[in-house]
Amino acid sequence: MNLLRSEWLKLWTVRTTWTMVGIGLLGEALFAGLYVGLASLAEIGDVEEVETGVGLILVLVLVLGVLSVTTEFRHGTASSTFLVSPGRWPALLAKLGAVLLAGLLIGLAFVAVNAGLALTLFDARGGRLPSTGEIVSVYAGVVVSLALIGAFGLGIGAIVRNQVGAIIAAIAFFFILSPLPELLPGSIGEYFPSQAIGSLHGRVEGDGSLSQLGGGLVLAAWATALCAIGTLLICRRDVDE
Amino acid sequence: MAELEVRNLTKRYGRTLAVDDLSFAVEAGRVTGFLGPNGAGKTTTMRALLGLLRPSAGEALVEGRRPAELEDPLRTIGAALEATAFHPGRSGRNHLRTLAAAAGIPGSRVEEVLDQVELSGAARRRVKGYSLGMRQRLALAAALLGDPRILILDEPANGLDPQGMRWLRDLLREQAAVGRTVLVSSHVLSEVAQIADELVVIRAGRLVSQSSLAEFTSGGDGRMRVRAADLDRLGAGLAEAGARVERDGEGALLVGGLGGEQIGEAALRLGIALHELAPLRSSLEERFLEVTGPEEGP
Repeated sequence: MNLLRSEWLKLWTVRTTWTMVGIGLLGEALFAGLYVGLASLAEIGDVEEVETGVGLILVLVLVLGVLSVTTEFRHGTASSTFLVSPGRWPALLAKLGAVLLAGLLIGLAFVAVNAGLALTLFDARGGRLPSTGEIVSVYAGVVVSLALIGAFGLGIGAIVRNQVGAIIAAIAFFFILSPLPELLPGSIGEYFPSQAIGSLHGRVEGDGSLSQLGGGLVLAAWATALCAIGTLLICRRDVDE
Repeated sequence: MAELEVRNLTKRYGRTLAVDDLSFAVEAGRVTGFLGPNGAGKTTTMRALLGLLRPSAGEALVEGRRPAELEDPLRTIGAALEATAFHPGRSGRNHLRTLAAAAGIPGSRVEEVLDQVELSGAARRRVKGYSLGMRQRLALAAALLGDPRILILDEPANGLDPQGMRWLRDLLREQAAVGRTVLVSSHVLSEVAQIADELVVIRAGRLVSQSSLAEFTSGGDGRMRVRAADLDRLGAGLAEAGARVERDGEGALLVGGLGGEQIGEAALRLGIALHELAPLRSSLEERFLEVTGPEEGP
């Protein structure tokens, strides 16, 4: 609990976090306003208005997760962190807790902006809103995906440790490597993070055999695996920074 | 049992030996200086003592235990490793608050140590704007946070002005006086001479000497320094009396094997006026160069 408090403090006592959350929410407001406000109603098909602009905040929270580990190595604070927690894994578990919690809160803030702008605008323009149940389930998916993608980033950060390298690795993995299997026949792609997020958001693509819950579980499995490998490596490696 | 102990510690990075079969112990109640040229393995040894790296062989023990097994680490051991080890965007106070939170130390203690290192005025500012001296103070504050029994400080005097040096010395002396263990590394001898009671000197990852500061500097092996009116004749006369005589190049003789009285009496018999007769004491600097030697080594 102490460690979790410490990690929570670390997260919010640097401007980077606030800036990134600010950009994410401002971006969402812009997307919602411009896209839902200006595009033709026919273009905004399906449930798109409910999650419009989610891509930006996903990337930002992914990077936030990466940074939660890499800044410690970049700035040499890893030494003091692991002095307090010599077993090292408890500190990483606390980081995971802080990142998950932050992802959930940022997700709720995102939902608030989206509901306040995108849905209201869409409704005002005479668009046909999905049912409340559908909206809630997409929102739930968005919130959960933001928490999980933070954990995903943390795992990669712990494995790579170098800040720039880890950010590049996380983004490349997510946006280049992970969508590739979608090109393959069958539904293999659904078991990779980027499409799993689609399923989690209730967006059905391709063969679409994965449910929302299924998508969530796939993403959670990836995040868990990466965090486990990262933690193992951090516990084994020397802390030279 | 020594508070800190290094036993046959070896640390290899690829083909480089950073620390090579090093053994020494650090006792409580005094300030131990950890001296060696840059790259001698001081930081590596300290990191091993803090459980931050895994020895290739041997072990580093804190109060007889492996550092990773300490139950209340921050109250046992406080460390300041690098004056640059802060997130530049976080304020000094918040840096300490994150550490205090992790160890379950109350926030009031953060204000105490900030006060102690005279950093309260700058505590709200982000570390980015701190001078090197201020960073050193912040690092020290972090080390003191848990009021630990053992302090490990890597080059803590770096970047301190003379006032800061005195302040640091007083602080470390205080800690030692109440029975704490203090290990302070430095590659600058004059710093250590001001601070330490005990010296551990290493070079190229190996132990060179461990002794009290006084023993270390008086390492003149009992020889006498002699200046006189007629050095050649005196030298010959002393050699005849069984002394080992050397010229030191500064117009003096270095005489071994005879005491001051015998040298004085010999001079009297020879009718040579003595200008100086004193036991040979090396400065810390000389001793350090002597002990750590030229780069190519013995």
